[in-house]
Amino acid sequence: MIDLTVNGQPHRLDAEPDMPLLWALRDLLNLTGTKYGCGIAQCGACTVHLDGQPARSCQTTLGELAGRKVTTIEGLHPEGAHPVQLAWVAEQVPQCGFCQSGQIMSAAAMLAEKPQPSDADIDAAMAGHICRCGTYQRIRAAIHHAAAKT
Amino acid sequence: MQRRTLLQAGIATLVVPLAPASAQPAPPAVITAAAANSPNGGPGQITAFLRIGQDGLVDFASPVTEMGQGTHTAHAMIVADELDVPLSAVRVTAGQPEPALRLQPVGEMYSGASFGIRFWHDRIRRAAAQARMALTSAAAERLGAPVGELTTAEGRVLHATSGRSLSYGELVDLAARLPLDDQPRIKPAAERRLTGRAAPRADIPAKTRGAAIYGHDVKLPGMAYAVARLSPVFGAELESFDRASLAGLRGLIDVVPLPNGVAVVAENTWAAMQGAQRITLRFKPTPDQALDSAELIRRLQAGLAAPEAFRGKNDGDIEATLRGAAKGVEATYTAPYLAHAPMETENATVQIQGDRVDVWCSTQHQDWCIRDAARVAGVPRENVRIHTPMTGGGFGRRLVTTIVEQATTVAKAINRPVKLIWTREEEFAQSYWRPAFAARIQAALDAQGKVVGLNLRAAGQSVMGDYRPALFAGPLRGNDPFSLQSISDTRYRFGAFRAEWHRIQAAPKVWLWRSVGSSQYGFFLESFLDEVALAANKDPLALRQELLAHDPRALTVLNTAAREGGWGTPAPAGRHRGLAYVECYGTLCAQVAEISVTGREIRVHKVTVAVDCGDVVNTDTVAAQMQGAVVWGLSAMAAEHITLKDGAAVERNFDTYPILRINQAPQVDTHIIRSGQPLGGIGEPGVPPLAPAVCNAIFAATGRRLRSLPLVDQGLHV
Repeated sequence: MIDLTVNGQPHRLDAEPDMPLLWALRDLLNLTGTKYGCGIAQCGACTVHLDGQPARSCQTTLGELAGRKVTTIEGLHPEGAHPVQLAWVAEQVPQCGFCQSGQIMSAAAMLAEKPQPSDADIDAAMAGHICRCGTYQRIRAAIHHAAAKT
Repeated sequence: MQRRTLLQAGIATLVVPLAPASAQPAPPAVITAAAANSPNGGPGQITAFLRIGQDGLVDFASPVTEMGQGTHTAHAMIVADELDVPLSAVRVTAGQPEPALRLQPVGEMYSGASFGIRFWHDRIRRAAAQARMALTSAAAERLGAPVGELTTAEGRVLHATSGRSLSYGELVDLAARLPLDDQPRIKPAAERRLTGRAAPRADIPAKTRGAAIYGHDVKLPGMAYAVARLSPVFGAELESFDRASLAGLRGLIDVVPLPNGVAVVAENTWAAMQGAQRITLRFKPTPDQALDSAELIRRLQAGLAAPEAFRGKNDGDIEATLRGAAKGVEATYTAPYLAHAPMETENATVQIQGDRVDVWCSTQHQDWCIRDAARVAGVPRENVRIHTPMTGGGFGRRLVTTIVEQATTVAKAINRPVKLIWTREEEFAQSYWRPAFAARIQAALDAQGKVVGLNLRAAGQSVMGDYRPALFAGPLRGNDPFSLQSISDTRYRFGAFRAEWHRIQAAPKVWLWRSVGSSQYGFFLESFLDEVALAANKDPLALRQELLAHDPRALTVLNTAAREGGWGTPAPAGRHRGLAYVECYGTLCAQVAEISVTGREIRVHKVTVAVDCGDVVNTDTVAAQMQGAVVWGLSAMAAEHITLKDGAAVERNFDTYPILRINQAPQVDTHIIRSGQPLGGIGEPGVPPLAPAVCNAIFAATGRRLRSLPLVDQGLHV
């Protein structure tokens, strides 16, 4: 049995400690906003927050999570109205949208540390993410948009 | 047209079918139940195409899959505009294959060839106009007012003279009993309130909350999870597998053999993935199992010299023109295999209950999902329902439905609903790539430097050859409609002009990749035209203006990109520009790339796009598609390629098949030209001009002509 806290809720899971958090979220907890894209920490689609820091859930095993707080896209804001989420709508960022949960989680974590990021800051924080639809121009605009609102 | 209608469970709906997409007779009267489409695919269904309820809400069953290209929002805009309801009152979902939702002439429901608007706009508008007129007639009856005194707005019919009005919801009951007008009045452009402007996408809010349900996210009661492990060698069949190699795997349910591998079935995805990785498989030998990239290149080169070829164009005497030329230009170009790599890997969920089959698949081809599930399950096609969830990118990849065949095989074998997914490694390994191509191009110039002839010979696999083999009967080895795309139909006038394609054979499957044949031919021809301009001592824009002098529409596109991109004006210090123009899917697109070069580092700062797709529904979607197409094109030309070794793909994940990142992406400025010509597509036409525009800019910066992609193979990095 594994105990972990996700979006403020404690859970006890009957799962192997080597199961990646990604699959526990998706298959065991029905939190499917976190996506599988590559399984090797190359695309960023599975990004969640661990104690507020962005982490690749495909490379984080359940055994590592004792005492840590996991936040997923579903828990970023109770109404889905985090400034980054609102900016993503205002700038009409997503196309297919499959990568965007991960993009939003990284952007939110960056803005928590750097409320007024430069383009170079954005490049550094977001270059671990792939958007196959090519929404990068709007991701950049939305991060600046969110920064301007805070 | 005859009618439809009905009252069931006390709820009236007005139902208007789309005009059938062919000269076939109209479908019979459409009858609908009030049951809404169950979001998780229960028995409820939308059987109609445009349905208005007593609550005034409008449901439209779209013939198109929403995969990020924005078509569902555009369809909602067309309906709302013509019907005079608020945009928020229209809900769009992908429909079931029915005659009126199938593309003609092939008669299948699929999302491809950038058809989402250009094929459907007029048909959707007509259905919405019929509904508006029926509601107006109903109001005339209820209000005792002549139809000519009534107007419609915001979901109501208004009678200005008396100040009375009725909502559509109040009118559907009566309207549903009235005949539909066969020749409805379609709003002229001046009366359109919504289309031709920017509208927010309906699917975006859910996508920012992790709430959109993709194929990967489908979950059914009692569902098992399966992961495929397939032969990486193309064409190899499974000989045997060793179930004992999975001993001790917690959560394992079964191993189901497939023609070219197995599906490992477990209680969760992680267990199935571990099993798929661990299981020992043996495959039968196959003829092309030693294929590597060197051999592929040898086949392409042999194809350039082969006596036989399909001749797509043969105007004038090209041989004599080349012999008599004052100056000749010749070059050979190559382009690699490319993967679609949509973010959501292939997946399908299948549930078999008796003789009924339900399929959930992020697909671009609903009819083939049904075909494949029905064949494997052994049921008639009408017993199969396809549910299309949100789709994590398509780009052509999802016009293949092998995954449905596999998932149905597994569901049948284990007698449980199952979700089958491919790993990213499997997605890369199983091919269906953009074909590798080579082309030799020759141009003839006269003494004044005017182009008087062009000769192109290309070699590559056929994207349609395995899929519609009947096309390939006959002495010319058949005409693949994509084999000379944007070449044999170019607007350029070269004088004598011959274009030929030699079909080569290789085991990897090739397929429709965003912009298909135009993706390589844009690079080939538009790079070559800059070589011709150099030989003729002409500006690249001036040369193209000469070749398009007869065509005002093309000149407008070209000149708009040139003007907005600063062509002919001094570039900022250290920056250089390149230009290209390509037409495909009925849309003309020109781009100016502005770059700088530092050593071996290429930086693309800005791409200026001029695009003429006739007319526009959602201007913001056009801009988004141009931004995406530029990134797509730059990603491919920078570092994407599939190479072969021992009959299999070398690149199996994003570590070896790098996709462009935010720090490499340029600013894209889009200029939309509304020529009023027939509608063109918008998902694909932004791709082909990018690579040649950037390569032409690299030549301007360095004097180095790049004739083979990707850049990383030439020692250059973006």
